[in-house]
Amino acid sequence: MNPPSPTAVAEAPPETPPRRRPIRLPRDRHAIVDSFFRFQSLFGLVAVFVIAIAVSPVRNGENVFLSSGNLANIVRAVSEIGIIAVGMTFVILIGGIDLSVGAVLGLAAVGSATLMVDSGMGILPTVLIVLFIGAAFGATQGAIVARLGIQSFIVTLAGLQAARGIARMWSGGLGIPIAYGDGPQEAPEAFSMLSGSINGILPVPALLFLAIGVGALLVLRSTAFARHVYAIGGNEKAARLSGVPVRRIRITVFAISGLLAALAGIIHAGQLNQGSPNDGAGYELDAIAAVVIGGTSLAGGSGSMGGTIAGALLLGILNNILALNNIDANVQLVVKGLVIVAAAALQKLRPRIA
Amino acid sequence: MTESPLVRMTGIGKRFGGVHACRDIDLTVRAGEVHALLGENGAGKSTLINILSGVITEYDGTIEVEGQPVSFGGPAGAQRAGIATIHQELDLVAGLSIAENMFLGREPRTRVGTVDLRRMRRQATDHLRTLGADLDPRRLVGSLRVGEQQLVEIGRALSLDARVLIMDEPTAALADAEVERLFATIAELRRAGVGIVYISHRMAEIEVVADRVTVLRNGSVAGSVDPKTASRDDIIQLMVGRSVDALYGEGRNEPGDVLLDVRGLAVTPRRPTPGRTEPAGVDLTVRSGEIVGLAGLMGAGRTELLETLFGAGASGPRDGQVTIDGRRYRPHGPRSALARGVAFVPEDRRGAGLMLEHSVTDNVVLSALSSLTTLGLVRRQAVKQTVAGQLRALAVKAASPAVAAATLSGGNQQKVVFAKQLLTRPRLLLLDEPTRGVDIGAKAEIYRLLHQLADTGMAILLASSELPELLSLCDRVVVLHRGRTVAALPRASATQQAILAAANGDDAKEAR
Amino acid sequence: MRYTRRAATVLALAALVATSACSVEDDPGKSSDASAKCGSGKEFLIGMSQANNAEPYRQVMNDDVSNAAKSVPGFRVVVSDAAQDNSKQVADVENFLSQGINLLIISPNEAKPLTAVVKKAYDQGIPVIVLDRKVEGDAYTAFIGGDNVAIGRAAGEYYAKTLLPQGGKVVEISGLPGSTPAAERAQGFREGIASNPKIEIVASQTAEWLREKGQSVMDAMLKANPQIDAVYAHNDPMAEGAYLAAKAAGKETAIKFTGIDALPVPSGGIKAVEQGRLQATFQYPTGGREAIDMAKKILVDCAKDVPKTTTLGTMQITKDNAAQTYTTLGGKQ
Repeated sequence: MNPPSPTAVAEAPPETPPRRRPIRLPRDRHAIVDSFFRFQSLFGLVAVFVIAIAVSPVRNGENVFLSSGNLANIVRAVSEIGIIAVGMTFVILIGGIDLSVGAVLGLAAVGSATLMVDSGMGILPTVLIVLFIGAAFGATQGAIVARLGIQSFIVTLAGLQAARGIARMWSGGLGIPIAYGDGPQEAPEAFSMLSGSINGILPVPALLFLAIGVGALLVLRSTAFARHVYAIGGNEKAARLSGVPVRRIRITVFAISGLLAALAGIIHAGQLNQGSPNDGAGYELDAIAAVVIGGTSLAGGSGSMGGTIAGALLLGILNNILALNNIDANVQLVVKGLVIVAAAALQKLRPRIA
Repeated sequence: MTESPLVRMTGIGKRFGGVHACRDIDLTVRAGEVHALLGENGAGKSTLINILSGVITEYDGTIEVEGQPVSFGGPAGAQRAGIATIHQELDLVAGLSIAENMFLGREPRTRVGTVDLRRMRRQATDHLRTLGADLDPRRLVGSLRVGEQQLVEIGRALSLDARVLIMDEPTAALADAEVERLFATIAELRRAGVGIVYISHRMAEIEVVADRVTVLRNGSVAGSVDPKTASRDDIIQLMVGRSVDALYGEGRNEPGDVLLDVRGLAVTPRRPTPGRTEPAGVDLTVRSGEIVGLAGLMGAGRTELLETLFGAGASGPRDGQVTIDGRRYRPHGPRSALARGVAFVPEDRRGAGLMLEHSVTDNVVLSALSSLTTLGLVRRQAVKQTVAGQLRALAVKAASPAVAAATLSGGNQQKVVFAKQLLTRPRLLLLDEPTRGVDIGAKAEIYRLLHQLADTGMAILLASSELPELLSLCDRVVVLHRGRTVAALPRASATQQAILAAANGDDAKEAR
Repeated sequence: MRYTRRAATVLALAALVATSACSVEDDPGKSSDASAKCGSGKEFLIGMSQANNAEPYRQVMNDDVSNAAKSVPGFRVVVSDAAQDNSKQVADVENFLSQGINLLIISPNEAKPLTAVVKKAYDQGIPVIVLDRKVEGDAYTAFIGGDNVAIGRAAGEYYAKTLLPQGGKVVEISGLPGSTPAAERAQGFREGIASNPKIEIVASQTAEWLREKGQSVMDAMLKANPQIDAVYAHNDPMAEGAYLAAKAAGKETAIKFTGIDALPVPSGGIKAVEQGRLQATFQYPTGGREAIDMAKKILVDCAKDVPKTTTLGTMQITKDNAAQTYTTLGGKQ
């Protein structure tokens, strides 16, 4: 029943002298097991990173995967999904789901392009308006969920359709190209900064993703708002009876998700020099995958932001190393599916804190 | 009684890790007897029951059914051997009807193979009638109250034609009238030669219903007694291993000014929910330092009244007047209730009181977070100290504040809910069945705690189905019937008979 | 025990990723040198960035590229699929650049969003061949694509001279409104039938390139127009859908159907012509073979100048040449 464990996570309690601190022993052992699962995605990230280095092609004596250009590409490629996933984490923590984020991204991309190119607005008003639209869209969905008690899956499924529809109407169904310059029908040059890098190394979208991720991580660690978010996901009724402002928190959480999806949309437009109503199709599923790989339970109430960030990066590295090794696109999909299931299975095995 | 017993368990033992949950337990169940199993939580009752009902399949010792050694592969095997269990945590599917639940997995079929709904409903109705319950078998179980659901569970066991029936706290959620009916049913079953293993915390019931009592303590048999001859104190002593002098505590102080005043409270729900009885004319007062009991049959509207007072009841227009300290009180929700110093300990501890998977710390501080934050940031050190203080004050037994609430015993879970609500520093504490499913030791501690709180001037309104609890704890008992106040009996004139008479809607004595 | 199983799962996962990666890993270093060094007897890595593998036309394009490359010694092609996502296609190209490809073939999902990354590759000295859809500007080596106006015109001339020399009533089933190919195929067709004034277009409806919509649109048109002599569909699937609708109405022999695309796949238009459902179809070439031919000129033959734009002709496929063309184009049986 008990073959020796290769990693010996649980089998190796620290060598505490049993006589002096006999009670500590089982707790330390438990703490190790628990922290393994708490930081599961981090371990997964490190493991995938190491594997990626090992299997990466080598060119001119340089490990292609580790080349700074490639690492920057990875973080930039996941930055939009990552930012969406940060918002999605809040939603999933309260036991909800937000399927509208991909469509809101498209709406925001169209909005950015239209406001700057057609309406001749500056960058700041454009960004503020688009972010407001995203937050308002999310808040509206949250209000419908909270007020009418409809499941968020359904409300945001409807929201997905609505956001795509609005984006198509706004853009006339076609992508709106963004040209840069000072003339009419041209966007301010500075907007193209979103496709640039800092010091030629750190891409701007990657920087935004990491900044937002770290910010959200701190929020989730130490605010009362976060405790309320966890409480609603853990037991909504108990939370309400304990005086948690359930409706307000719920609306706020969906507003955050919409806001971050809109931000991702702005970045999307800046990176691709175009806002198309079809942008971001299916991104919601990638974001959910990142959250799940990060160890957040779809049932709500448990999970971490660090996990989500690690999950998004893990997906990015996986995509990258599969591509660098020219794995067939169809096989790539299968591998990604297996990774998601493996991550979820690991969570199932997590022992209840006892 | 000359033939071999229905069930003979010999030398039963079970270890979880290094802990002996059961050690060398012998237990027999004879045809036509009620064998009561007593013990505090953690004494090994649940483990023993799980072994007998086939939930636990690996154990030491032997089980014989009618003299034949058996070993069950699972609950289904035990059922085939004629052993049915009514679990304390009800195993019902909320989205299915009563009849569908009772025949789940063994639905009667018509000749063409479809489910014979008519036969199913008729049989379900018959079984429920045996229990004296008049419920439409087409109703969804989710719309039933906990007590009614339990009746459905018992009905299901009856429909299995079980020869051995294990009842794990069957009356925990039943009001007295239903308890009476259950006892009648048990007498019926006993005459039919069914052997019953009866688990309960309620000493009074054991005296009425049991033929034999076996007391477990720390996984072993502490003793076996005849309830007809043994005194209640003897049994309690066997259970806790020491004598318990005053279970309820004594000595009441003088109540202070009127804190809560309810006059003619009635709620017209915007969306009526079947099975709920909203307040329909409630009058009562609670003074500071006073413990007021809320009595009534199931469906009398006790829970609904407490929820309404906490702002968590049905929404809809309301009549009447409620004041706290003479100021109008009409909470929009739990938040505004808490802001006015009103706290609530709900009946459904697991469903409404706790986040089971979250740590004890997270549960305890949830209601009082605002006092533990600076600019929205939680002060970790303050949280740690506060929680440690609360746990010490309430003597909560937990391995550490970081363990999940689900790992605690029922009594300690209830104390965590208390701790959470008390952190909000309430002046009025609303309690709904606070000792349901709590073992006798923890019960005594909760009673002591309530006395202490009342002594500090807190007003307490407590709903309970256990009349002895109400009679000995409360300064006054308010009796509800169909959502209305029908009696308010001061301690001196409150007797079991008086409360029951009022609760059944007999001529109400107004003695406010 | 649980921990062991857990650890095993992790290892299994790691092993899976590792082996699936290793098994296809090439010998690194072979394709190491930069693109500038052309000449025969060398190894070349060609990146083929596809917009969306889910479209049969693009799958055939990939097959054409891969099959043509097999006949050039030293060529190795890697294909990526952007699944209709511009961002993904940008990342795909960047991954190619990390890998050190010697030449890029790209079939862009959309022009504007991919212009920058194509330029990036081109500026690094990597020859870029753009297929089917263009990018903006001129930062690429060559564009190869079909001419939808010419295809439409060829179809129209076929109607005017061969299919309906006596004239007749034609209905048109068009592609997605607003899409360039749909507009061009409509325009070319009208130019082609102009020589025969007795041909009349009695109805034109869109079926958004889809077979099932072709069927429902044809249902409606059959009810609205008692007499229809021929159906001009902007692609083969819509023509097949229209055929099914006519068959349901018992009119499949009275009406003639033509399509466009002529993909050499079992579900494609060539087979439909061979089996008699369609009267004719007109090839919309993928340009895959031509792209590899050009890559050979650039990489192996060290050609300095290749034409910036190559417009591919079409081919008329009727029952006479269907079977043979299917084989020539490398169709799977």
